[in-house]
Amino acid sequence: MAGSTTKTVYDIFQSMEFGPAPTSSTSTAQAWLDHHSYALGLFIDGKFVRPADRKSRSLLDSKGASMCSIVCAEDDDISQCASSAVNGFKVWSSMNCHQRAKVLLKLVSILGLHGKCVSELCELCEASCSPSTLVRLLQYYSSWAQLRDTLMTNWKPLGVVVVVVSDDSSLFTLFLKVFPALAMGNSVIIVPGHCTAPPALLLAQLFMGAGLPAGAFNVLTGTDVSLGAKVAQNPSISYVTYSGNKQDAVNLRKATAGMGVPVSVSPCIGATCPFIIFESADIDSAVDEVIEAAFKKKKEIHWVLFVQESVLDRVVACFKLRMVRMKCVGLQSTADRVLVDAAVKEAQQQGAMLIQACTAPPSGALYPPTLLWRTAPASPCVVSPSPGPLLPLMTFRSNTEAVTLGNHSPHGLAASIWTEDLTLALETAQSLSVGSVWVNSHSVRDPCLPVSGYKGSGTCTDGGQEGLYQFLHPSSSSSPSLPRSSPLPMDYTKFGTGASPVIIPDESDSASAPKSYLHFVGGKACKSVSGCSVAVQQPGGGGVLAYCPDGGRKDVRNAVEAAIKVQPAWIKKSLSARAQSLNSLAKGLEANSQDIAASVCVQTGLSMDKAEKELELSIARLSDWAAYCDKIQGATLPMPQSGSALSFPEALGVVGIILPDKNPILSLVTLLGAAVATGNAVIMVPSEKYPLPALVFIQVLLASDLPAGLVNIISGRKDQLTVALANHSVIKAIWYWGSAEGCQYLQYTCISPLKTLRLSCQNDDDDEGKDWTQSHPSLLEETWRNAVQWKSVWIPTA
Amino acid sequence: MGVTSHMKQSCISDLEYISKIKVNTQTVLKRAQHIQGQKIPTKQWQAAWLLKAVTCIDLTTLAGDDTPSNIQRLCLKAIQPVEYKLLKKMDMHDKEVTTAAVCVYPSRVADAAKLLEAAKSTLPVASVATGFPAGQTPLETRLQEVRMAVADGATEIDIVINRTLALTGQWEAMFDEIRQFRMVCGNAHMKTILAVGELGTFTNVYKASMVAMMAGSDFIKTSTGKEAINATYSVAIVMARAIRNYYLFTGYKVGFKPAGGIRTAQECLVWLNLIKEELGNDWLCPHLFRLGASSLLTDIERQLYHHVTGQYAAYDELPMA
Repeated sequence: MAGSTTKTVYDIFQSMEFGPAPTSSTSTAQAWLDHHSYALGLFIDGKFVRPADRKSRSLLDSKGASMCSIVCAEDDDISQCASSAVNGFKVWSSMNCHQRAKVLLKLVSILGLHGKCVSELCELCEASCSPSTLVRLLQYYSSWAQLRDTLMTNWKPLGVVVVVVSDDSSLFTLFLKVFPALAMGNSVIIVPGHCTAPPALLLAQLFMGAGLPAGAFNVLTGTDVSLGAKVAQNPSISYVTYSGNKQDAVNLRKATAGMGVPVSVSPCIGATCPFIIFESADIDSAVDEVIEAAFKKKKEIHWVLFVQESVLDRVVACFKLRMVRMKCVGLQSTADRVLVDAAVKEAQQQGAMLIQACTAPPSGALYPPTLLWRTAPASPCVVSPSPGPLLPLMTFRSNTEAVTLGNHSPHGLAASIWTEDLTLALETAQSLSVGSVWVNSHSVRDPCLPVSGYKGSGTCTDGGQEGLYQFLHPSSSSSPSLPRSSPLPMDYTKFGTGASPVIIPDESDSASAPKSYLHFVGGKACKSVSGCSVAVQQPGGGGVLAYCPDGGRKDVRNAVEAAIKVQPAWIKKSLSARAQSLNSLAKGLEANSQDIAASVCVQTGLSMDKAEKELELSIARLSDWAAYCDKIQGATLPMPQSGSALSFPEALGVVGIILPDKNPILSLVTLLGAAVATGNAVIMVPSEKYPLPALVFIQVLLASDLPAGLVNIISGRKDQLTVALANHSVIKAIWYWGSAEGCQYLQYTCISPLKTLRLSCQNDDDDEGKDWTQSHPSLLEETWRNAVQWKSVWIPTA
Repeated sequence: MGVTSHMKQSCISDLEYISKIKVNTQTVLKRAQHIQGQKIPTKQWQAAWLLKAVTCIDLTTLAGDDTPSNIQRLCLKAIQPVEYKLLKKMDMHDKEVTTAAVCVYPSRVADAAKLLEAAKSTLPVASVATGFPAGQTPLETRLQEVRMAVADGATEIDIVINRTLALTGQWEAMFDEIRQFRMVCGNAHMKTILAVGELGTFTNVYKASMVAMMAGSDFIKTSTGKEAINATYSVAIVMARAIRNYYLFTGYKVGFKPAGGIRTAQECLVWLNLIKEELGNDWLCPHLFRLGASSLLTDIERQLYHHVTGQYAAYDELPMA
């Protein structure tokens, strides 16, 4: 302030400088913090709770000053909170849709009254969320709350949902999970991070004023996401969903493996995303926007700039002009400065050229916006980006090369593409494997846009109608597929490595020797690579019924190779052609129904009548999926701004399926149909106990016109094949029916690369678990929704 | 002004460049909103910025009822746009705070030039010309209009482009016309009015800006003030980009003049901020930035009065134009 009084009008008249940035007041937020004596409690059962003898964690504000402290919750607090959430769920879910919608709308008007306090607190915490964003979220989800039973019939809430976010998450990503969970009738326990804890606590308090039942929304605070895992362990929790950085996602998944609770993660922070400028772009706009996106102080995404070679000179010249007047950007810490310096130095050594706004100060937590030009996809600054305002630039020659470069990343969160050519924009949007495509724009977030991370960027969809289903289950399905349990002590490296039992047929009578079956890889019926077989026991243990191939790692590898060769073409096929193939498969099943029914009979000991009944249902199920082919479709989304927002269901890619023992043929065609109808290739492992019907089904597949390699059936020992599927990076999802141990193994292992898991723990008695004979629409919908990921494309217009 | 110092020969590559130009409307609108949302200076910074704005004003009267008497008032106001005692309080009384020019119809140029000479002022007289505002008169009469305004003592000529040529994509023909105007302007400063409200798209605005600059304009100007849509921030962003890129290609700085509908001090601070953001401080001087306005000055004076005295002035307390 010293300078401000000495500057005369004439000085400023000549220099035309900006005045000092006005310091915004935070008095309202301070008053709220003061009211809580700068020590915020936990929010349990509708009120603030400050149990004695708890550790506390001090929070710093955006300027590094101490702001307030939060309580570190302990086990007692967790169980108190969970039982309150169970009660909260009872009250909240028994209210009708209209009443729930009313509560959410009431919060909108309360935010209108206390918007100042919320925005000041968000600013103090750098939670980067404005009250208007929260209002938009609430308005969007209140209408879904109102219409849940009208537009999504036969779905019901899960129960108590835990939302965990990492320290660096924004308030938006937190509430993009919280509001839909509440709108669908769940109660919620949130475990916020450093930035989001104070605003979340404030909102919890405001929510009570809006008439939310006590216990429906609880906040537990702690030191890090390990608290999330502790909360997940509580048996009354139905579902855990996480958003934040990758490392915490890994920690949470590992810590919760074997607890018998589904955990979905959206590791959206720190993802690398392509920013593609085509020669047909409005280059000035594109450069302005990439500067805004990449050189922010707090950025969740690492952008990598791809520029068409023909306009590189113009783009670089534009950068030079636009960056001249930019100032240094603050880094989070001086430690970051060391990382930035190292990254820039390394890039320079590898031949990168720098365009910098100004020269970097010798030290300190400041760095000028820097364009690293002439980098390559293998450059460390691209592969493992450092913090700070660095932007690597690469060139591409053709449109296809742009897509190839853009897709060459373990992340699949989002992409920004710049062109005035609509055809090119849509073609590129289709070919990029990312969840969000922003055409001529970037970083657009709205609750109506589904955000689904492709590849390593997530296992669930948030936002949009699509994002609601993670908080619902079909009302006709019985118990949850994963019973609650405690993690078993297990050695993950030993799982599935048991030696194969040696088979020496003891019967001398060659006429009655059990038959040997083949399995199905790459469109061919064949033996396993190892050449070994496993014996299939007769029901009731009356000796060896047959031999089937003992599939392993190499069989899975071959199947994946075959699958990725044909799957892209399968997606491109017209939907009616897909339907036709499935219909002909149904016809083939009908033609072979006697054989397969007989195998069901022999294998499971069911009566022929029952087996025939199962075949009838299976044929009908395949016809259902054939019909679904052109009914599973995206939507145009109601964005508040003008433009076109589209959502598309896209295939996951290659899906690994470990089939259940129950209804061996019906379950097989149900899952196969859902996966193939939505464009996926599948690698199926038949039930270890009852593999024969699946192996007989191979003759139907052989006669079908499905492309060779789209459907693979590998028989053998379940655990060994589970390990093989889990350790193949191409496989994007695994649907598993098996032991608790297997579930735990998959939860622990399928983290990097990230796989979407649908786990069901099956018991030896076949009564429990999914009822495959039901064909309720919501059950089929749940199945196909598991087989797709959602892409949203946003094309803003004037 | 160097007459045709930066005039480029139209060649195939330039025209090819023009045909490739693309402007995405929504991003420009978004950028304009972003700039409008930025905080504007307060206290002495605001006072200094407002005084800068004053020195960039082309004080304008373009009415059918202009007579020597209101032209005289205009000229005297242009010489002393802010009350001496207010300037004195800000220590700006000896810093030659005048408007940049006065701007009148060709028939009034002689009146204005005479009055300014009598007041011993070197303030330039600007004249609109070339069939202002529609430009729908034969080329020969438009050229003659420029010659006569220059002969009467105008040192700055605001020409209007032929929108027919722009809208039908005859950029080369437009280039030739503007170049002829440039020739007859001689040593006078040439400002080219694009009449953006009638060009339809931002892409056309960008193309017209480029053609106007290639043909030798010293300034490009948004509008005549007579179209339905005048100077908007979004259109200014497009024109500023064209200026920036022209500078990139040629190393020559072309000026920018928004005109029409700029009435409040608040708006003119946004304008200055926009220029600062899009073009940089170099452009924040009368040599490269002008504001075409008639009633704006009164509002600026009121703001300055408030800055100096802490009170809001009644209109009759301030010297009238």
